[in-house]
Amino acid sequence: MKTRTKNWAAIVTIASTSTALLAGCGQTQSANTSNGSASIAPKQNTASTNVVAPTHLVNYSNASGSVVWAESFTTGPVAKQLVSAFEKKYPKIKVTMQVQPSSTDTNRADLTATISGGSATPDVYMGDVIWPAQFAHAQLAAPLSDYLPKSFWNRFSNGLVQGATYNGKVYAAPLFADTAFLYYRKDLLQKYHLPVPTTWEQVKSEAATIVKKGGAKYGFVWQGADYEGLTCDFDEYLADAGGSVLTNGKASLNTPAANKALGFMRSLITSGVTPKTVDTFQEPQSENVFTQGQAVFLRNWSYAWSDSQNPASSKVVGKVGVTALPTFAGHGSSGYSTVGGWDLYLNPHTKNLAAALQFIDWMTSPQAQEILAANSEMPTIKAVANSPSLKKYSPVFALLPKVKFVSRPSQTPQYPSVSKAIYDNVNEALAGSVSVGTALKNANSQINSAQSGSGSGGL
Amino acid sequence: MAMEAASTGKKERRSGSLQRTDVRAGWGLLTPAGIVILAVTIFPILYSLFMSFNNIQLTTNGFQFTFTGLQNYKDVYSAPLFWHSVGFTIYYSVITVAVELFLGLLIALAIQNVERLKSLSIVVMLIPWALITVISAQMWGYIYNGVYGVLNAILQGLHIIHTQVNWLGQPFTAVVSLMIADIWKTTPFVVIILLSGLQMIPKDYYEAALIDGANAWQSFWNVTFPQLRGSIALAGLFRILQAFGIFDLPFVLTQGGPGTTTTSLAMLGEETLFTNLHFGLGAAVAISTVILILGACLIFLSAFRGMVGEEAQ
Repeated sequence: MKTRTKNWAAIVTIASTSTALLAGCGQTQSANTSNGSASIAPKQNTASTNVVAPTHLVNYSNASGSVVWAESFTTGPVAKQLVSAFEKKYPKIKVTMQVQPSSTDTNRADLTATISGGSATPDVYMGDVIWPAQFAHAQLAAPLSDYLPKSFWNRFSNGLVQGATYNGKVYAAPLFADTAFLYYRKDLLQKYHLPVPTTWEQVKSEAATIVKKGGAKYGFVWQGADYEGLTCDFDEYLADAGGSVLTNGKASLNTPAANKALGFMRSLITSGVTPKTVDTFQEPQSENVFTQGQAVFLRNWSYAWSDSQNPASSKVVGKVGVTALPTFAGHGSSGYSTVGGWDLYLNPHTKNLAAALQFIDWMTSPQAQEILAANSEMPTIKAVANSPSLKKYSPVFALLPKVKFVSRPSQTPQYPSVSKAIYDNVNEALAGSVSVGTALKNANSQINSAQSGSGSGGL
Repeated sequence: MAMEAASTGKKERRSGSLQRTDVRAGWGLLTPAGIVILAVTIFPILYSLFMSFNNIQLTTNGFQFTFTGLQNYKDVYSAPLFWHSVGFTIYYSVITVAVELFLGLLIALAIQNVERLKSLSIVVMLIPWALITVISAQMWGYIYNGVYGVLNAILQGLHIIHTQVNWLGQPFTAVVSLMIADIWKTTPFVVIILLSGLQMIPKDYYEAALIDGANAWQSFWNVTFPQLRGSIALAGLFRILQAFGIFDLPFVLTQGGPGTTTTSLAMLGEETLFTNLHFGLGAAVAISTVILILGACLIFLSAFRGMVGEEAQ
C-alpha cells in the first residue's frame, strides 16, 4: 500500500512537470518561418474602404516622450536607419527598438503573452498582415481609426487598408508589402528557344522539355510544406482557376475551380516537373534548389531576386529573369499573386499614445517608405509605390503594375484554423496519401467548422 | 558519574525536543523548493484545469472567463484531429521507448564489458543526448532532405535505391524517420541509467554463477536482468514521460505533416493555445495529455510493479 501511494506521488509530480513542459512549448519553438507569409484584401475588393470616423481624434503634432517599437525585420540595418531618421526629424521623441523572434508564430506567441498580460510596451509593434482580425478580436491591437483622421488612410495603395480592417475599424497601418513572382533561368530558355511563360500549362511543358533535354535537374520548385506558405501558393492557383476559399462567408472548395487548382499542383509532382519532396519545401529549400542551378522555374517572394544575385550564395547570378506569376490558359494575361507584408500595430495599453501615433504616421510617410524601398521592401503608400523611380531599387518593382493581387481569407479571427484546414489537406494531397477530391472535401468541412469560431473548429 | 548523568539527561532531552527541531528545520529547508514547485508546477496545472472549464476571451483587461463546464472537453473529444494526435503520440511513444530500452540495454552491456577507453566511449555515446534537439533535428533535416539529403546520396551511391526517396514527405517514411532521429537522440539517456544499474550489481553474484557452471546467457538472465529491472523501470518511466510530450522533432522536421500525420498532442496543444489563441480548448488538450500520461505511467508501473517493489526494498 505504501509503495502504491509513493508511486502515485511520483507519477503526479512527474506528470505535472510534463504539463509545465507542454505549457512551455510556445517559448521553445525555433524554426524558420520566413517573413514571406502575409496578406491583404480579397481579390474582388478593389473599391476603397469605408473607414468609420475617429471617436477620439488625437493631435500628435507636438508629441514628445519615448516609444518602444517591437521590430521583426529579419535582415539588415533597415530598422536602425528608420529610427535614426525619425529621431532626427522628431528630436522630442526617443524610439527604443525591441528585436522580436524571426519566426512569425513565435513572434505572435511572444506579443500575445506580453500584451494580454497588460504590458504598456512595446507601444508599437510590427505584425503580419494576416493578424488584424485575430488581434482585433482578442483586443491585442488598438483601433487606429479611432485616433487618426479619416484622411490618414488615403495615402495607402488600394486594398491594403481593407486588409487591416475588422468590423469597420482599422487596426493596423501597412508598413511594407510583399508578393510572389515567377523566377526563371533566362539562359536555359534562350538555349532551348523557349519564350517566357505566361500560363501554368506553359511552365509545365517548358520545364518538362528542359529537364528532358538535360538542361536542369528539376523543372519547377515552389512551397508545398505543411505550413502557412502552402496556403499562399494554393490560393494563387485557386484564384487563377476562378475560385476562392470563401464565397459569401462559406467554404467553397468543393468546386471545379478548386479541383483544377489542386489537380494541377499534384500533376506537377506526378509528371516529374516538380520534385516530389516539394511537399517538405518552405521558402529556403525551394530557393536553395533554384540558386544552386538545379531548377528552371521558382515561385517565391520579392526577396528572392536579391538572393539570386548574391554571388556568395547563388550559382545563377546574371542568369535569372523574373516575371509576374502566370495564370491558367484562357484566364487572362497574368496570374494572381498572394499579398503578404507587415503592418504597424498599436498596443492598447500604451502610455504614450501621441508619440506612438506620430511614429506610425512618419513610418508611412514618403521619407520612411523611400528608406524601405531602398532596402528592397515594397512600399505601401501610393506616393512611393507609383513613383517611376522605384524600379531602380529592384526589377521586381517594375512588374508591380502587371500583378493581380489575391489575399488569403484572413478577415476572420479564426484565420489560423482556416488556413490550417487548407494547408494540412493540400499537403496531404501533394504527398499523394489522399485524392485531390477527398482533400478538398475535408478542407471544405474543416474550414466551415473552424469558421463557426467555437467548438472543435478551434483546434 | 555526574558527567554520565548529565550526558544521559541531555540525550533524553535531545530525543524529544530535537526531533521537533529536526522537523521544523526539515520544513524550513523544504519550503524554498516547495514554493518553486508550487509556482512553476502546481499552480500552472491548477490554472490550466481552471482554464479548461471556461470559455476564455482575451480583452484589454486580460483574460475574461465564462464558466462552460465540460464544453471544451466535449469539443476537443469530438475533433478527429485530437484522436489522431492521441493515436500518433501513443504508438510513437510505445515503439520508440521499446526500441530505446532494448538498444540501450545492448549498448550498456557492451560498454560495461569494455576494458580500455571506457570513459571515452561513454562520452562519445552521450553526444546525441547532449545536443540541443532543435539543432540535431536541423541536422537530421539535411540527412533526410529529398533533394540534397545525405541519406539519399549514400543509398544511391551504394545502389540500394535508384530514385530519391522523399523521407519526410510520405506518411510512413516520415514517421519512421522521426522515430530513428528520436531513438538516436535518447538511447544514450537509457544507456547511462542502465550502466549505473549494472555497476551496482555485486561481482560475487557473477562469481557464484560461474562456480555453478552458468554460461553467459544464463548469468545474464538469472543475475544481470533481475538485478537491473529497477533501472529498466526507471529509464522506461522517464522515457515514457518525455516521449508523450514529443514536440521539437516533428516541429522542426515535418511541422506535423504530411497533412496531420505527425501532429503530436504537444504540437496540437501549442498550436491551439499560441497560434489559434483558443486558451480554453488548448488547456483541455493539455489536461487531457496529463491524464493520458498518468494512465500510461500507471500501466507501465503496474507491469513493472514487482520489479520496482523489489528494487525499493
